[in-house]
Amino acid sequence: MKKLLALVLAAMLALSIVPAMAEDAVEITILLEGNNVTDDAPVLEKLNPYLAEKIGVTIKPVWGTWANFDDLALNAVTSGSDEYDIMFTCSWTKNEYAKYAKAGAYVRLDDPEDDLLAEYGAALKDTLPELLFEGAMTEGPDGEKGVYAVPGFKDFATMNCWDVNVTLLEKYGYTLEDVQKAGFYGWDEIFAKVKAGEEADGSVFYPFVFEGAVVERFVDNTPIVTGDSGLLLSYIMNADDVSQPGPYGNVFVNKYATDEFKAFAAQMKKYYDAGYIDPAIAIGETATDTWRNAQNTANYLISSEVSLYGYEYTTSAARGIQVAYIMTHSDPYIDNTSVQGAMMAISANSDAPEACMKFLNLLNTDPYVMTLLNYGVEGVHYNLNDQGEAEFTDARANSYTVWTNGVGNVTLLPPTKGQGADFQQRFAEFYGGAKKLPIYGFTFDASKVNKEIAAVANIKEAYALTLCTGAAADVDATLAEMLQKMDEAGMQKIVDEANAQLEAFLSGK
Amino acid sequence: MTALSHRKGHALRLNQVSAGTELIFHIILGLFAACCILPFIFVVIISFSAESSIKTIGYSFVPAQWSLEAYRQVFKLGDQLWLSYFNSFFITIVGTVVSVAICVLYAYPLFRKDFKLRGFFTFFSFFTMIFGGGLIPTYIVCKNLLGMSNNYAALIVPMLVNPFNIIIMRTFFQTSVPFDLIEAATIDGSGEYSTLTRVILPIVKPGIATVALLTALAYWNEWFLCLLYITDRHLYPLQYLLMEMQRNAEFISRNSSVMGAASAEAVRNLPNQTMRMAVVVFIVLPIACAYPFFQRYVVAGLTIGSVKG
Amino acid sequence: MLRHQAARRPVMGSAGRKKTLWLLTMVAPGAIWLILIRYLPMFGIVMAFLDYRLPTRKMPFPINLLHSDWVGLDNFQFLFTSDALTMIRNTLGYNIVWIALGLVLAVALAIMMSELTKKFLAKTYQTLMFFPYFLSWVVAAYFLFAFLDPTNGMIVRAQKAAGVTPIDWYNEPKYWPVILTICSMWKNTGYSTVLYLSAITGIDRSQYEAAAVDGATKWQQMLHVTLPHLKPIIIVLLIMNVGKIFNADFGLFWSVPMNSAPLFPVTQVVDTYVYRSYKFTGDVGMSTAAGFLQNLVGFICIMGANAIVRRLDADSSLF
Repeated sequence: MKKLLALVLAAMLALSIVPAMAEDAVEITILLEGNNVTDDAPVLEKLNPYLAEKIGVTIKPVWGTWANFDDLALNAVTSGSDEYDIMFTCSWTKNEYAKYAKAGAYVRLDDPEDDLLAEYGAALKDTLPELLFEGAMTEGPDGEKGVYAVPGFKDFATMNCWDVNVTLLEKYGYTLEDVQKAGFYGWDEIFAKVKAGEEADGSVFYPFVFEGAVVERFVDNTPIVTGDSGLLLSYIMNADDVSQPGPYGNVFVNKYATDEFKAFAAQMKKYYDAGYIDPAIAIGETATDTWRNAQNTANYLISSEVSLYGYEYTTSAARGIQVAYIMTHSDPYIDNTSVQGAMMAISANSDAPEACMKFLNLLNTDPYVMTLLNYGVEGVHYNLNDQGEAEFTDARANSYTVWTNGVGNVTLLPPTKGQGADFQQRFAEFYGGAKKLPIYGFTFDASKVNKEIAAVANIKEAYALTLCTGAAADVDATLAEMLQKMDEAGMQKIVDEANAQLEAFLSGK
Repeated sequence: MTALSHRKGHALRLNQVSAGTELIFHIILGLFAACCILPFIFVVIISFSAESSIKTIGYSFVPAQWSLEAYRQVFKLGDQLWLSYFNSFFITIVGTVVSVAICVLYAYPLFRKDFKLRGFFTFFSFFTMIFGGGLIPTYIVCKNLLGMSNNYAALIVPMLVNPFNIIIMRTFFQTSVPFDLIEAATIDGSGEYSTLTRVILPIVKPGIATVALLTALAYWNEWFLCLLYITDRHLYPLQYLLMEMQRNAEFISRNSSVMGAASAEAVRNLPNQTMRMAVVVFIVLPIACAYPFFQRYVVAGLTIGSVKG
Repeated sequence: MLRHQAARRPVMGSAGRKKTLWLLTMVAPGAIWLILIRYLPMFGIVMAFLDYRLPTRKMPFPINLLHSDWVGLDNFQFLFTSDALTMIRNTLGYNIVWIALGLVLAVALAIMMSELTKKFLAKTYQTLMFFPYFLSWVVAAYFLFAFLDPTNGMIVRAQKAAGVTPIDWYNEPKYWPVILTICSMWKNTGYSTVLYLSAITGIDRSQYEAAAVDGATKWQQMLHVTLPHLKPIIIVLLIMNVGKIFNADFGLFWSVPMNSAPLFPVTQVVDTYVYRSYKFTGDVGMSTAAGFLQNLVGFICIMGANAIVRRLDADSSLF
């Protein structure tokens, strides 16, 4: 009897050991954002054995969508959960890289005591441009600056552009050069002629469509200040050479108190009153849809767009017209917001930070891993044509749409159809030539003036879109009212705090 | 039954409002009902409109072009659609049954004047209607302590008790159950549970039906719990499927200034607006069909006299 | 099984305690739920007074609360700016008018419906009245936009066709108090009508016959039979609505006016203000503080309303 029991126990022990030995690969859970993935089994079937063999790691992705973009990470971080080993993070929306890094939610990757990046991420460090790590530097819980996430190698420089419907423009005898020469303050004549022509059949046509909340950036040359989520601050850059200090020097000002803003709002008012702007663009919830709809149906003359390399081919094909982009500044500029636009952080609650780093290293250097995770399985989710370009299948659209920028080094991917075989090389070269803003590396830590921002941002919300779209009945009066209320709510304190931080940053550089 | 038809046949206007007044009632109620159904008809029309029509002339009762594309897209969801339907039904049915049972059990002693702790327990539930710990502490308790994550419990348990329904139920007990009835039953030697199930419950059927209806609607409409606790698509209820589409679009639209060109691509990958309306139709129809079931009890007593006792 | 034991229990001196115990077993499931899901997280209210520190592995929740700095009433400060008066006026104003209007409308519709002789139509009306409950405010907002769209809206087109200057609806605050009121009634009336209707259903029909025999007209019957029977539920619903007097339906005030900035003077309520602030700061402490303040005001109002009711008619009070 005892023998039998011993035998059974031994057998059970053996059985329990066998799978344990086969599974010596560490499983890590990864939170990815912005996807529409309903079936990842075909991908994981290929990916996990490869990863297990190569680095002794298997992955379990959690496919976040746009719908829960903020919520998954926010919930995990604010509750101190250990459910994710690697988490997507960025500097926009509520998923705030700087804030969470400072709170101690992420592992420091270049910690002098335990330098994960040097130990397990050598290849990654060699592959990614050095300036990306520079942009990923942020303050940790100990007050020291460090890298708390692997930045994505993507379109990391910003190009603010006027998006021009060249087909329509040429129909009325104008050229791209005319638009460029006239500039934002001189489009009246072109708009008038095109509007009259397009409305000859009794329909309604609005030549000028844009994103009201940010179009001011295109005119006044004010890049996003990372950390200023209320869009209250302006750093006016040097449009003729983005790497040089702007007309006011390296300082922040109240975005709405400048002469530049006043002139811009007055001009918008002129365009609005003349009927060049769709009133729906001035209404909060319909603004973006109206702008995108007009673009996609080619029902516009000039529009605003934050463009990227090679984008005119994509949009021309999609809209069935010839689209051209006029950049509003000298060169593509590198700022924190675009560099911190998509990153991967290792959770401070992870049990296996080394395994995570090994995986991130491979993801950013091994084309097989990156392509498999991003495009899916060749022959199922995409096919390669003779030029080596990827053509996506319905299977990818239906069950495996991954947000490319949200994963990692996009330059490892095969080009998509129409981009040309050498696309990635040109892409990397193009962004390699971009220039850093003088304040590059600076992130505004708004936590000290949160109370003021809460009040001031509410005031801004009540006026800004109306002013920026020209819908205000009286620009001067509205602007004055807004500025006065902002002052009462402590706007100056916000500006002063930001400038103090910037000064400290620049002197420490 | 014979007595009823007798009354109907012979004393048609006995103790009823005059025909003229009733006509006015019909007009008022009819107009209001029309206002209520019109937006839904609008939704149905949009769901059969061509997307191009919306892009050019906006939302309209008379689209420039009709299309079945939205429904084709909904059916393309395939298994997910039917799975979500199942989840919605499962959550609604289980949630409603358990929730109503707890509600009736909790409300009944609160109506009993001879229950010493009546005041305490009334306040105990009412207080939570006003004060709560907020989203984050509740999330932490539910998820970390009670293990509500990627399971049906996470979609059912957090909504099980609703103090509002408890108070409504208590009021129904108060207004329709004479207290002598309980005393009589007690003297007959009936236990508390048997008094409740055999004597009391038949009387408060309209109240139970009402609370059940409100609970079922709340479960059917719920999506926020799914956003908080569920990442496994197999557990998505139908309403979340819709909210996901809605929120996907809203997110991209709100963040297009930072996402730049990437947002345009993301928008192209989204289901279009007509499809979202078609999903609304899929959500509303089953519950609208289930409604008459509850109505049998709620409207049962109308005009034909109470069936009490 | 239990039931039989209870039934056979002889009546003794301890019967009262036994009864209490039995009734306690009924309350138990609900009470346990309330403790776990509602009372346990309530310590989170302290976040309203803290500079909330995120939990980490070394300082898991709720230890992190102990390490968060106490900031007193700082988190409430953003609620009291120059625009605070507008937002408080809107929140309270809409709520008071809507509570009164909603009550009258729902009771009136319920009584009308109960008097219809054509039961089929009564059922149909009632079913239709519930449809707004299923449509989200976002969908309702699209519907409204189809009429008010500045370029393609049906009303705007009609005005253009008639040669009238079209109204710029989303730029003119003066129309919106009425539009929002209609929307609120449209959405919520069906819901409360069903409560009143089922209460009417519970009224013993013989009371009406008796009143009719005494020569009471239909109108008098309504005043002396129906309304007194509805009184408890009317009072209970009123008291509970008063508890939400400082809260607003976020979707209604955000989506329906399409978040249009010029309309803020009539659409800004506490909930939209707090949401906008949260959007830009991500500060949990401030939104918790706002929620706490809203609840506190509601609680005080409810206790006040309940005390008044108790003095007038002890049986109808909530507790």
